[in-house]
Amino acid sequence: MSILEAPRVYFKGEVTWDPIVTNNTSSFYNEAAAETVFPAAADKVAAFRREAIDAVVGGGNWNPHGTHRAVFYDTAVCGVDLGRNHEQQDPFLAAAVSFTGMLVDLEPYGSISSQLFFDEMRFGAGGGYLISAPRTSRVTARYINFARNSANKMIAGVASVVWQSSFAKTDGLRIDAFDSPVLAALHGALADDDVLGLTVRFNAYRTIYFDDPTLRNGAPSVKRATQTLQAKLNGGGFQPNPARSLIVGAIGLWRRNEPAHESGERVLIPPASSSLGGSAFGRLNGNTLVLDLANVFPEIDDALTKQNFGTLSVVAVDPATNAETVLATFPYSAYDRAAYEASAGIVTAAVGAAACAAAQGTLELRGGDGSVLLAEKALRAVPDTPNLYLDQGTTANATARVYDRGIPVSKAIPVTLYSMTPGGDKIRAATQLQTDANGVVSFAIAAETGEIQPYVFAADPTDSPPDQGVDTQANTYMNVRILPADAWVGQVAPTWDNVFGNVLANWNAMAPCMDNWLNLADPAQVKAFGASLKAHTDPAKFENYAYMPVTRDMTAGQRALLYAFLDAPPPPAAAAVEFMGAAPEPQRRNYAELSRELRGGAE
Amino acid sequence: MLFFQLGAVSNLGDAQRMLRTAIGVELGTLPPYLYALYSIRPGTNAPAVSRIKSVALQEMIHLCLACNMLNALGADPVLQPQTYPGPLPGDVGPPGGTPLTIRLLPFSVDAMDQAMKIEQPEKPPDFPIRTLAVQAKPQAVTIGQFYAALDELLKSLSPSDWRQSRNQIVGDQFFAGQLFAINGYADAHNAIQQIVSEGEGAKDDPLDFQHEPAHYYRFGEIYHDKVLTKDTNPLGYAWGPQPLGVDWSSVYPAIADPGSHDFSQEPPAAQRAQERCDAAFATLIDELNGAASGRSGALGRAVRAMYDLRTAALHAFTTALAGGTQVAGPAFRYKPPQTGVTP
Repeated sequence: MSILEAPRVYFKGEVTWDPIVTNNTSSFYNEAAAETVFPAAADKVAAFRREAIDAVVGGGNWNPHGTHRAVFYDTAVCGVDLGRNHEQQDPFLAAAVSFTGMLVDLEPYGSISSQLFFDEMRFGAGGGYLISAPRTSRVTARYINFARNSANKMIAGVASVVWQSSFAKTDGLRIDAFDSPVLAALHGALADDDVLGLTVRFNAYRTIYFDDPTLRNGAPSVKRATQTLQAKLNGGGFQPNPARSLIVGAIGLWRRNEPAHESGERVLIPPASSSLGGSAFGRLNGNTLVLDLANVFPEIDDALTKQNFGTLSVVAVDPATNAETVLATFPYSAYDRAAYEASAGIVTAAVGAAACAAAQGTLELRGGDGSVLLAEKALRAVPDTPNLYLDQGTTANATARVYDRGIPVSKAIPVTLYSMTPGGDKIRAATQLQTDANGVVSFAIAAETGEIQPYVFAADPTDSPPDQGVDTQANTYMNVRILPADAWVGQVAPTWDNVFGNVLANWNAMAPCMDNWLNLADPAQVKAFGASLKAHTDPAKFENYAYMPVTRDMTAGQRALLYAFLDAPPPPAAAAVEFMGAAPEPQRRNYAELSRELRGGAE
Repeated sequence: MLFFQLGAVSNLGDAQRMLRTAIGVELGTLPPYLYALYSIRPGTNAPAVSRIKSVALQEMIHLCLACNMLNALGADPVLQPQTYPGPLPGDVGPPGGTPLTIRLLPFSVDAMDQAMKIEQPEKPPDFPIRTLAVQAKPQAVTIGQFYAALDELLKSLSPSDWRQSRNQIVGDQFFAGQLFAINGYADAHNAIQQIVSEGEGAKDDPLDFQHEPAHYYRFGEIYHDKVLTKDTNPLGYAWGPQPLGVDWSSVYPAIADPGSHDFSQEPPAAQRAQERCDAAFATLIDELNGAASGRSGALGRAVRAMYDLRTAALHAFTTALAGGTQVAGPAFRYKPPQTGVTP
């Protein structure tokens, strides 16, 4: 199953990231209470905005005027695979890939809960070669690699991330193939009942900030860049400062029982002895071995030269006898920069018949010197809902499916569920669970208090407890954000002072970009835009690109108060307006620490 | 079709003159597109809105690229808004004939027809379903030909004519990948290729360099209410059969050409709405001039002004004129704001 079988389309390009990062620290935002932390001032919004700008120089706030938008640009189809390896002949080649999403971290302080809210991903143009993919579920980030690009040590520039979403054919997925063989093949494959739709997976890497790829944490040039931004912000107007990454990706088949948001394939993770920080995904299609190495090999310089580990070998180790069988080898030219960008880090090799049988063993990726770079983690429990929002006082049932070497388990097996502290850095509790006969484990989540609650799954008895924090390669995990009920807020009188002070001021302060569309401090405008505000804050539209607040942190009490205000008769004077990263570490570090390290502190 | 009267050009001064004309034309196309765009009732006509908006954004980028080219040649761009109705800047129009008069029209077939005429390529295709008029043997030049001539002239300039990093507007905050510095002929050539490709498409191909329909064809899709679709006919494309989904009725009941309307007899609310639009537009122009002069942060202030203009326009489009049945959108008049008027 998966995008690691043909047909498959490759794309590459760039993406901008424009999040507001003011809420990344507790001095500006209380993520448990879902509240902006205001300074003591008569005009708390103005004072907050001033402090957010002050924090640009020396405080790590690199984008107080962010919009949260993430937009692909210069991104196009660059190759196809119809089972005959990488091809450059299809008329779908060079088709533009269009995507605009909203980048939101479920846990604002950390970096392991990123997601993209969006409405549609599009390959090609309407009327021509086209894959139009309306959203089925969010694009989710997993497997953040904290050791990807040691030459780009600037904020999170050292890291790379695997992003994935899947698109159900029952949700309006459309393919206009015309004379494109690969599109025809994808369209034809959708007729198979076992194919649920299409999966898009892409790797984002080489992230740069302040539009300057030469910046490095601590360098004097960073201070100059922050001072320039601060001056712009103080000069007025709308001054976003987006970061940008390179991306390579693939779109292929989404099979039944396959996770929508992350790999359900065989997963090879870096062992403690490896210098690598990212995992690979693999699949054996008949006698063809396909490996997704998009998140694995570091770039060692600004020219994006891939680190050379010599000729790689994929070895299957028999767990019972430790007998080794070499399945395939890949020379450096198969994973160097050119190859990486041509086929999104996906490599393919034929495997002999005898070796195919041995492939049921534990896979290892070895470097030219024989060292084990990656080793397979056989049992993995993948949550069906990677990022979940709940309101305090509600309960939800969560599920995860266990995979054994990329195949859904079809028997009952034990799974350990670790509930973690909000930052994912410590274990709060461990619970022993059991899957059903289909390998699905279920558990109830009672949203008792406002907080961030990560869960880590361990399906393999040999798994180490995540007592060093969530290991983004070894652990599968889900994040739960419980929004406080704020019942008292919903019960106060729906006066403007109450609505602004308890509801709108939070985003009026945190999101100056909102001034472009609506002045949240202006009761007449808020009232005039009442219908639009209600439409955009409707919980039923939570998944939409245009949902407000973008940060998905409006509590039920706040919504109740806002709606009570909006539903009240307009005051007589109201306008009748209709619309109105790091070098290789000598020792592995706590993942929570690594995550936090990517937040600010560039100077 | 727009035709530039193109005389003999041979030197740096000619290139600067042509670029000033280009800046005027790029700026001049924005108001008619924005007037049509803002007149569409919010939440409706999504395909048309996305197409007009995408064209308007690219015209803004073209404007900035033209400013970058002029700056790179050592001259200072000055944005001078025109009045509507009126001709676009420069010697625009068929030789001996009446220049194309650009009007501010609410979203309508006429507005899209005008937009197609503005963006029409040298040889408009005769796609099935509807035949487009072809100008016989034009003696003047199209925008594409104008830029081709400019490209040739720029190519002939000495490397010493180009200034490095002079007041360049780049895409670090907005328009990533599309807005870049001009530091020499190679950059200018890329900019011209982008401008022409996005406006008219590639030769014999309605798609631009990013494989999206060029401006002329985006407006054509709206005009015909059909998606431009690959087809087996010799031209390779046809209008439809899939409809685009245009609702011509979902538009504010706006007058055309508010710049020539006498607002002195209109209700105070309508007058104030116009003043807000004028103020926001003036700020936008001032800040764009600042950006083209290398003033730090000016582009961000221009973008904020652009949003302010949109808000003011929406307000104007929903403020009744006397009689209560019509409204007026922004006139795009350059009138610096008066004291007490907040855009």
